Amino acid sequence: MSIFEYNGSALVAMVGKNCFAIASDRRLGVQLQTIATDFQRISKIHDRLFLGLSGLATDAQTLYQRLVFRHKLYQLREERDMKPETFANLVSAILYEKRFGPYFCQPVIAGLGDEDKPFICTMDSIGAKELAKDFVVAGTASESLYGACESMFKQDMEPEDLFETVSQALLSSVDRDCLSGWGGHVYVVTPTEVKERILKGRMD
Amino acid sequence: MSRRYDSRTTIFSPEGRLYQVEYAMEAIGNAGSAIGLLSKDGVVLVGEKKVTSKLLQTSTSTEKMYKIDDHVACAVAGIMSDANILINTARVQAQRYTFAYQEPMPVEQLVQSLCDTKQGYTQFGGLRPFGVSFLFAGWDKNYGFQLYMSDPSGNYSGWKAAAIGANNQAAQSMLKQDYKDDITREEAVQLALKVLSKTMDSTSLTSEKLELAEVFLTPSGSVKYQVCSPESLSKLLLKFGVTQPATEAS
Repeated sequence: MSIFEYNGSALVAMVGKNCFAIASDRRLGVQLQTIATDFQRISKIHDRLFLGLSGLATDAQTLYQRLVFRHKLYQLREERDMKPETFANLVSAILYEKRFGPYFCQPVIAGLGDEDKPFICTMDSIGAKELAKDFVVAGTASESLYGACESMFKQDMEPEDLFETVSQALLSSVDRDCLSGWGGHVYVVTPTEVKERILKGRMD
Repeated sequence: MSRRYDSRTTIFSPEGRLYQVEYAMEAIGNAGSAIGLLSKDGVVLVGEKKVTSKLLQTSTSTEKMYKIDDHVACAVAGIMSDANILINTARVQAQRYTFAYQEPMPVEQLVQSLCDTKQGYTQFGGLRPFGVSFLFAGWDKNYGFQLYMSDPSGNYSGWKAAAIGANNQAAQSMLKQDYKDDITREEAVQLALKVLSKTMDSTSLTSEKLELAEVFLTPSGSVKYQVCSPESLSKLLLKFGVTQPATEAS
């Protein structure tokens, strides 16, 4: 049993035309038992930056709280929000600090940078960044997600199209993974608004 | 008045005074003043900007008012560099509390924690005290809106209206006369501007010499700290009729 598979998770972020989408499943389990079906895996750092944390739920919660701490201080001192690229570097540094006793999480970061350019990235549990121009995935369902995204992704999708694509990719991938599922949570972010939607999938 | 005992900050004088702490308060008495007022629906902070020169690079940052956390802000009087250190300390303390308890730090606890830091510099280390006084304005769910004043000794207390910096005694007595327990935020702004205009040394009052900030609850129920823009401040000064040469303090 891998510690990364203890709670179960599925995360995906995709780039569209001047927008991005970040989606997660909603199951929280303790190995084979399902504990919650409304678990929030994606958190807002600021209006244009979202963070999804897959892996061990307790580490995800603590890591998120530490990042909020750092971001709040950054906001107070710099009098502005952190750029997604900067935030990704911060997450990477915090993860590497625990190189020999890591947080068992795999983060997915998605945000709108300068000139509303979408930015997505993921990293492993010790902070190795993986920047992508199209999509990034994480969690127990990641292998299925890679396949689904690769086949369904198209460049420069509009927000509505992007929502459909991300939702289909997520739902079809979690159906093949017993540890993730119980619906989906999708955020589609454009420069003007954030649309949050709940998906109903196979509730198992 | 034995001057032999001044050089060590952590030593009492024979009269039972801590001279370094008193000298720190002297330094603040020469700095730009700040006034805080507690109202039914918010806390108002007004500050006098002492550093005004045409050569100064204009920036959006404030000189007297600082946000400590989403629900607490402070006005400063004294040595700015000392203030920056303490403000940073306060910010980190507030975030550490939120990290541990996942809720905003109660205002009095934040003030107490910062004052404990200040007190340390009057009792050990052989370092001089911080030459700053603060007016803390904030809101928490236990006690609602609060205003606290703290000084270099690490002493603090809650106030309905308080003044720090230059001419603070004159400002304080004016506040004692005119303050009413049930003033609204708008009336508090008016009173603060009036008192400051009367106690400021400068000959004319413009929005460039002042800073105004308010801590209040938005309709959705969250706490907001808002600094007044120079344009709105000029309008307010005109509205309340204080854009005139300052008269002698009453």
